Formats: sequence, C-alpha cells, structure tokens
Amino acid sequence: MLVHLANVLLSGVFHASILFLVAAGLQVVFGVQRIFNLACGSFYALGAYVGVSFVQASVQAGLPPGLFVLALVAGGLCVAVVGPVVERGLLRFVYDRDETFQLLLTFAVVLMLEDVIRMLWGTSPLSTGGLYLLYGQLKVLGVTVPVYNLIVIGASLLIALLIGYMLARTKFGRIIRAAADNREMSEALGVDMRRVYVRVFTLGTLLGTVGGALVIPATAAMTEMGIELIVEAFAVVVIGGLGSMRGAFVGALVVGVLRSIAISTYPELEMLLIYLIVIAVLVLKPRGLFGGAAA
Amino acid sequence: METNRRDFLKGIGAAATGGALGFPAVVRAQTRKGIPAEPVKIGLLAIRAGVAAPVGAAGQRGVEWWAERVNKAGGILGRKAELVLEEESSPKDTVERFRKLALQTKVDVIVGGISTAVGLALGPVAEELAMLWLSWDATTQKGVEETMPKPKFAFRSVDNEVEAIGGAILTAKYFKGVKTIAGINNDYSYGRDCWDAFQAVLKRYTPDVKPVLDLWPKLGVTDFTSHIAAIQQAKPDLLMTSFWSGDTTILLKQAAAVGLFKSMKGCFTTGGGVHDSLKKSFTPEGLVLGYNSMYFNYAGASALQKQFVREYKAKHGEYPPYECDHGYFTVESYRAGVEKAYKAAGEWPSKEQVAKALEGIQVESLSGKRSWREDHVQMCNFFQGITTHKSEFDFVTIDPVEVLPTTKIMKPSTSTKLYEWINATFPLKS
Repeated sequence: MLVHLANVLLSGVFHASILFLVAAGLQVVFGVQRIFNLACGSFYALGAYVGVSFVQASVQAGLPPGLFVLALVAGGLCVAVVGPVVERGLLRFVYDRDETFQLLLTFAVVLMLEDVIRMLWGTSPLSTGGLYLLYGQLKVLGVTVPVYNLIVIGASLLIALLIGYMLARTKFGRIIRAAADNREMSEALGVDMRRVYVRVFTLGTLLGTVGGALVIPATAAMTEMGIELIVEAFAVVVIGGLGSMRGAFVGALVVGVLRSIAISTYPELEMLLIYLIVIAVLVLKPRGLFGGAAA
Repeated sequence: METNRRDFLKGIGAAATGGALGFPAVVRAQTRKGIPAEPVKIGLLAIRAGVAAPVGAAGQRGVEWWAERVNKAGGILGRKAELVLEEESSPKDTVERFRKLALQTKVDVIVGGISTAVGLALGPVAEELAMLWLSWDATTQKGVEETMPKPKFAFRSVDNEVEAIGGAILTAKYFKGVKTIAGINNDYSYGRDCWDAFQAVLKRYTPDVKPVLDLWPKLGVTDFTSHIAAIQQAKPDLLMTSFWSGDTTILLKQAAAVGLFKSMKGCFTTGGGVHDSLKKSFTPEGLVLGYNSMYFNYAGASALQKQFVREYKAKHGEYPPYECDHGYFTVESYRAGVEKAYKAAGEWPSKEQVAKALEGIQVESLSGKRSWREDHVQMCNFFQGITTHKSEFDFVTIDPVEVLPTTKIMKPSTSTKLYEWINATFPLKS
C-alpha cells in the first residue's frame, strides 16, 4: 500500500514538474505584461520538436548518447528565440488593447505555430526512441522510477529555485516585481519597459521551450501537445493565483498529484476532480491561493 | 513537407498529362460513346490537423497513388481522375465542406472521413444531397448501434469495435490463463465500445475473466505515468488498449521504463496505426498488436501491396499504415462501380446507378480483395499478431500474422444486436 502511495505521488510529481514549467511561463508573462499567453503551450510543443531534432543531430554528430540531455537543453534554449520575435513582432502592438483582443492574438500564435510545426516536422508523432531508458531505473521507497523522470523533476525544481532567486535577489528580479506592481511608477523611475517586456516574454518562452525539450524523451512530440497542456496549466494558475510564481509551483503540485490520485482511485474523475478544485478555489478564494502577490 | 492544395492539384494534373503523353494509344482506345470528355472530379476529405493528422495524410497518399496509376492507364472509362482536397475537421465544418464539394465544385463522388463523429454528420447529408460518399474510417454508428440502416448514397467503414473483437480472439488464443484484465482506452465512443466488446468476447472464451481496472485518458494525453502507477497497483494479467495514435508510443515507452510488461501481457488492438514509432528499444516482444486492414510487412502480400510499400517508403521515408488501404479501396471501388454500371447503362452512370453497382462489389485493394457489403459496410481482412524483434527494422513487427476476416469478426448486418451476436457466435468453432 505504502509502495503504491509512493508510486502515485512520484508519478504525480513528475506530471507536476512539467506543468510547472509551462504554468511558470504563463505566470511570469501575465505578472508583468498582463497578457494571458495561450501560446505558452505552443512554445512547449516547439521545444519538444526542436529537442527531438537536436538529439538526432547530436547523435549523428557523434555526441555520446548519454549526453543527450545537453542537446535537449541547448535545443530548448535556442528555440526560445521565437519569444522576442513574437513579442516585438506581434504582442507589442496590443498592450493597450482590450484583453479579449490580446487573448485572440495569442490564440492566433497557437494556430500559426501548430502549422509551422506541421510544415517543418510533418504530422506523425516524433520521439527520441529508447533514450528515455538509457539512464536506467532507481528504487525509490520501493518504487521503480525511471532515472530520467527524476532528472526532469530535479531540473524543474532547480528552475523554480533559480526563478525564486532571480525574483528576490537580483536587480532584474526587482525590476520585474516593480513593473508587475506598478508599471507607471517603474517607468517614471527610469525603467525601460520595452526592454523589460522583451526580456520577460523571452523568459516565459524559455520556460516553455526548455520544459518541452526536457520532457520529450519520456513521451512523443505531437502537434497538439501544447493545447492539451494549456488546459491543465489554466487550472494550475487559477488554483495558484494568476501571476504568482509560488502559485504556479503549488498549483502544479496540486493538479499533478490530485490527477494521479484520481487515476488510481476513481479514474473517471481524472479531469472532473481538478475542475472541482478550480471551482472551489474560485468560490472560496477567487484570486487563487497566492493571488495578488506580484510575479 | 506538406503539399498545399494547388501543388497537389498540379501534381495530379502533371501525372495525368504525363500519362496521356506516355500512353496516347491507350487513351484513345478507351474513349467511349456516352462518356463526357471532362475529368471525373473526386472530392477528398482528409484530416490535416491534430492527433489524427497522420491518419488523414496516409489516406490521402493512398488515394494520390491510385490517381497516378489510374490516370497513367487512361483514367476511368477514359476520363481523367481529378482530386479536389478539402479538410476534415469538426462535424459542422466538414459538413459545410462536403456541401461545397457536392453543390459548388460538383464532384462525382466524395471519399474520406475518419472520425465517426464526422461520419454521423456526413451520412444524412450524403443522402439529402444524393451525393455518393465512400468513407475511409468513419462509421455512422452511435455507440454500437447503426443510425442509418438503409442508406442509398452513404457507404461506411467497418464497425468500430471489430479490432477489439479480433484482439480478444487472439488474447484467448495466445495468452491462456489470463484471469484479470485492465483496460486503458480513450475517453470517447470508440474507446468505450472497444473495451466493452473486448471483454464480452473474451468472456465467451474465458468465462471467469475479471476486469480489475478501466482507465479513460482523453485523446491527446502525453503523460501516462500516473495511469501506469494505477495499473501496477491493480496487477492485471493483461492490459488491453485500443490506442491508435502517438499515445500508443508514449504508453509503451513509459511502460518499458518501469518494466510493466515483464509482469503482464498486453493487447494493443489498433497500435499498428503508428507502427514505425514502436521502436524495439521500448516495445517488448510477445504483445498482441493490430494493424487494422493492412500490414505493410505481410509475407503473403499481393504484388500490388509490395509495389505500394516500396514506392511509399521511397517517397515518404516511412512504411505505410493501414489508412492508405482505406483510401485506395474507396477510389478503386468507385472506379470498378462506375465501369460495372456503365456496362449496364451504356453511358456514364448516374450516382444512383454507381451506388447500386457498388453494393456487394469486390475489388483488389492494396491489402488484397476488399468489398462493400450489400448494406454499404466495408468488408476486409484485419491483420493482428504477436510482436517480435526479429526483423531488419528498428521497430517491432508481428509474427505469426493472423488474418481475421470481417465475415468472422464483424456482426453480419447493421441491424444485428452486437452483444446478442457475440453471445451466439463466440467462441469460434475453428
């Protein structure tokens, strides 16, 4: 029983760590730019596809397969270049427009990126073959866990800590928090909001693309994989509170672990349970568990 | 790279012209009295986005390959076949495109349709517009019940649950002693009907078999670690799934990472749809795996299938999945139907006449002989077998290959009650 519980929790945490990266990208952008970026799911998908290509290229170039994680991270980082392109090319024109308009625009980006993926990689699911199994398994609390899952969980935690550190301790973090809190005041104090927006949006994109690249060995890249995740990420930010990083962390854990428990107990409730929690949060604490806190 | 519609039409046009240049004598010889000179327009509905996009692409490729060949050989009764591509998406939008093809483009026949939700919407429209519609994979079933018992113009795919019935027969044959089973199926009609039919047939062979877990992930889920944890806890003797897209790949990979199939058997009724992504490195030997109506590596394949597989691999860099065969069959049967009806009518036949001619017709498709039953349902063979690593490919294949004809694994008419038929039919005598 205990072993099973540990198994359920570990698989829930694995799912949560992926969700966190996507939700964190959503949060950081919303926190500062006040745009609910639906395209964060597409960045995740894009990261996954580029990850597959980078791994294939690196194996062909003679990099030892054991180092494929480096290729993945490199792929995720490189493709984050779409972030500034989307921000400068599209989003900056709609900062002063209605929210629905912004939402529509990011949804348009979702559709465009799906087409781009289809053009570049085709429609068949892509995967990195058996690399997922390369690192073997570990026994944790009596449960057999793929080591790669632990790497993903570890990477997600590390990224969470880095973001936490950046927001709390660095100058850029302070500027982000200030901008999230009061945009006019920050500008009056000499913050170049244009640069802040580009950097924040790139950071948000990066979280998605690196997340997608990291997860790909454990799964397969499919064109619509981002849309599937954005729905869950939406639940995460509602539970955690829009714009809050801590909210993304806790929300992802809640959604990931509850989903896992539901699948093991009442599989029919898999999605329903999450939305029950969402409704409960909306009724009892409309701003989410960590709502109101800046970035 | 995807071809867009213009390139696509250009390509077919070029193939047609090339054919005409290559075989002028054949073309002239085949021009007949009462045959219009302009090309036959064939409307094509193919899914191009989402989980089923590879399926749509495969069906389209099967039809394109057919069109090139037929046009090279002089067309249908001397008329060139011209393909007009439209996208299959939601039922509502697809119905609009179907209407456009029928009323505006004025096509002679429409082939395609993969989703049964779309099929349910297209069937009545085909009847209303008196438009011949030959479905690839879509049925007009609501659950396991037929909604269109006596169609005139709509021809639909095999019953949705057929592969699950085949999977249950092979489970009983190859995995003796299975007492507890778990199912993981997509949370929609196809997944639910497959799981129910699988259990019903298996119970006829092994009356004391007990379901211990049924999981219902949505279509498009990319992480099954939690589902696998639940399966590990339930410890079934066998896991059954009707997954047919990339989720098959993901499930197998994540199962391999915890050694799931070391302690249980597996029946993947439809996973052959993504066969070349099922790499040996994570897909074990000894699973039941179904390839629907065409198995690319079948030793008993016809010369036609062998040629198709070879050319498909050369052109697309992968081995063809079954949907190519559905696509090819629909257009090839249309050609045969037109020629048959022409013999009786002495002129280019009307849609009614072609529909009549199609009832009971048998043609050679990629996978061998296939036919339309009198009540407008596809008849074919299903290929399932036991996964093996013994091949030159980096993905699994099956050996032995079991050929399951729809005459055995599908109920004999659309009005037959599925579960009454299962109880009366199984276990099969032979």
